[in-house]
Amino acid sequence: MKLTESIRISWRAITGHKLRSTLTTLGVIIGIGAVIVFMVLGGGFEANLLGDIEDDEEPVMTVQTQTDPEGGFGVQFVDSPVYTQSDVEALEEIDNVDYVAPDGSLSAVQLEHRDQQLTGGSGFTGAFGVEATTADVFGDDLWEMTDGKPFEAENEAVINEGLADVIDGIGVGEEITVRLEDGREETFTVSGVVDDDVGQPLAPTVYVPIEPHYTTTVQTPAGTEERAYSSIEIRADDVEQLNEVQNAVEEYFETESDAQQLKEDEHEIVVQTVEDVVDQVTDIIDQFALFLGGIAAISLVVGSIGIANIMFVSVTERTREIGIMKAVGAKRRDIMQLFLVESLLLGIIGAVFGVLVGLGFGFLAVTVAGWPMAYPVDWIVIAVAVGILVGVLSGLYPAWRGAKVDPIEALRHE
Amino acid sequence: MSTAEQTRSIVTATDLERTYYLGEPVHALDGVSLSLPVGSYTAVMGPSGSGKSTLMNMLGCLDTPDKGTVRINGESVTEMSNGERATLRGTEIGFVFQTFNLMPRLTAAENVTLPMVFNKDVDADRRERAETLLGRVGLGNRLDHQPSELSGGQRQRVAIARALVNEPTLVLADEPTGNLDTETGDEIMSLFQELNNEGRTILMVTHERHIAEHADRIVHLVDGQIEEIERV
Repeated sequence: MKLTESIRISWRAITGHKLRSTLTTLGVIIGIGAVIVFMVLGGGFEANLLGDIEDDEEPVMTVQTQTDPEGGFGVQFVDSPVYTQSDVEALEEIDNVDYVAPDGSLSAVQLEHRDQQLTGGSGFTGAFGVEATTADVFGDDLWEMTDGKPFEAENEAVINEGLADVIDGIGVGEEITVRLEDGREETFTVSGVVDDDVGQPLAPTVYVPIEPHYTTTVQTPAGTEERAYSSIEIRADDVEQLNEVQNAVEEYFETESDAQQLKEDEHEIVVQTVEDVVDQVTDIIDQFALFLGGIAAISLVVGSIGIANIMFVSVTERTREIGIMKAVGAKRRDIMQLFLVESLLLGIIGAVFGVLVGLGFGFLAVTVAGWPMAYPVDWIVIAVAVGILVGVLSGLYPAWRGAKVDPIEALRHE
Repeated sequence: MSTAEQTRSIVTATDLERTYYLGEPVHALDGVSLSLPVGSYTAVMGPSGSGKSTLMNMLGCLDTPDKGTVRINGESVTEMSNGERATLRGTEIGFVFQTFNLMPRLTAAENVTLPMVFNKDVDADRRERAETLLGRVGLGNRLDHQPSELSGGQRQRVAIARALVNEPTLVLADEPTGNLDTETGDEIMSLFQELNNEGRTILMVTHERHIAEHADRIVHLVDGQIEEIERV
């Protein structure tokens, strides 16, 4: 029996029971649809976070301290001053290093611009943060200056777009006053605005020159009192040397660095390029989407049971038809093929509509969330493959039962 | 039976035996031998439980005997595999049933050509074939009707057209008028008569004397044995 022939006859059987077929495929549609929705959401979220960051455009890496969060996904960065001035100087000696830009947080309590005020804290906890760094970091394309230029004098500061968004009228040439926790009050002239969003959106931040504002010191293992920073940005001369420099930096921190000895035991020093950050973020989101998708996939099992169930009903109901077909020359294989094609069609229809429904709801959801639409092509392919698999598996036993029906009994069947 | 007649026989059944065990053994067929010459028209009569249906199932290759052989065109059906018998049914046997047994979701034309679907050697134009055969049984204008849109007599005509589609050696009819009123039944019987006149070999199972009388000879079956072969 030709395949096209069985498709034609099976299709007739499916459309002969429209409501039943619809309800049967609904199980598969919901299962596959749910998986696709989660994958679209994951993809959209990822695209939204990473935006148009190119993995390899900048030969820049950051050195940070991180720890495993207690009972949760992902990683958590630690804001503690462990990278000493000696470390910075040692890193500068590595071949092909363009610059080493340390970064440390200042504990700021308040920021004023004209009559507007923000209450701060250090790092990500407050409404804004003050970071001391060097002008080098504004020099590359990774952090794009959207207005003005990097600070040059000690009373100049660069603000990020996050801050520009929350304070009205702030911009190049305006003055801001920052009150620090230790009681100092400093006034800065804004020299430029920077887009510092690389992966994670950052809190409103003021970047000020390390000299003279950053004063945090620690006692080094050698016994001297030195400035210490909570993170370092390192730029290699060009992209070709990125890996080499990254390896050298990692090796330095594993062996002779002060930071290695100053950091808490459970903390870990990580040296990440932009590509590493992108990979990490992608990884976390993928894991999460997969987790949700896995739960959704359970409903696929229910869907396939639905198909198997209806195929049993179908075989029983059409016992007489099986008898007729056998009487006019159908072999067991023909009958088997007929029912398998039918369940296969149900599976494929379920998969196709599942994908469409999933993309539809996914689109709706990302639109509401304001994320870009993502088309999880690999998951769509997997979904259709699963639909086929579900169709075959759930049709196999019913089809075999149908194939071994005795034609004499079947023809007597009412 | 003469030797000459035997060589011209296309279906021969020899010493068929079949016993069902329903509490105690029931001899549905108890040594039945029958041969159907080319172009013959045979009726099998007998009361319920006489073994008519069992005999028909065996001649129609739907069933195999416990003992004895069935040969169709010289080939022993009893030694064939399940699949081979299925193919033989499709090509050499045309069934006409009391309850018509059409596929409910297929049109008249599709029902007629259903045996061709399972016969991969046939690659003829099915539509044309269906038109010819349905025209032959007087339903040339009902090709695309579904069985539910046809009367009983029309359905039986579709079934007869289906039985002829692969040019079978033998047409087997099981109470073909049992579900029809007398007038329609008579029409169907004259259709069988025409087919026989065209040279087709027909075996008909019935329990009605006036139906059986259309045949050349009537085989009387009682308790699984041939009681008498009556020439009409």
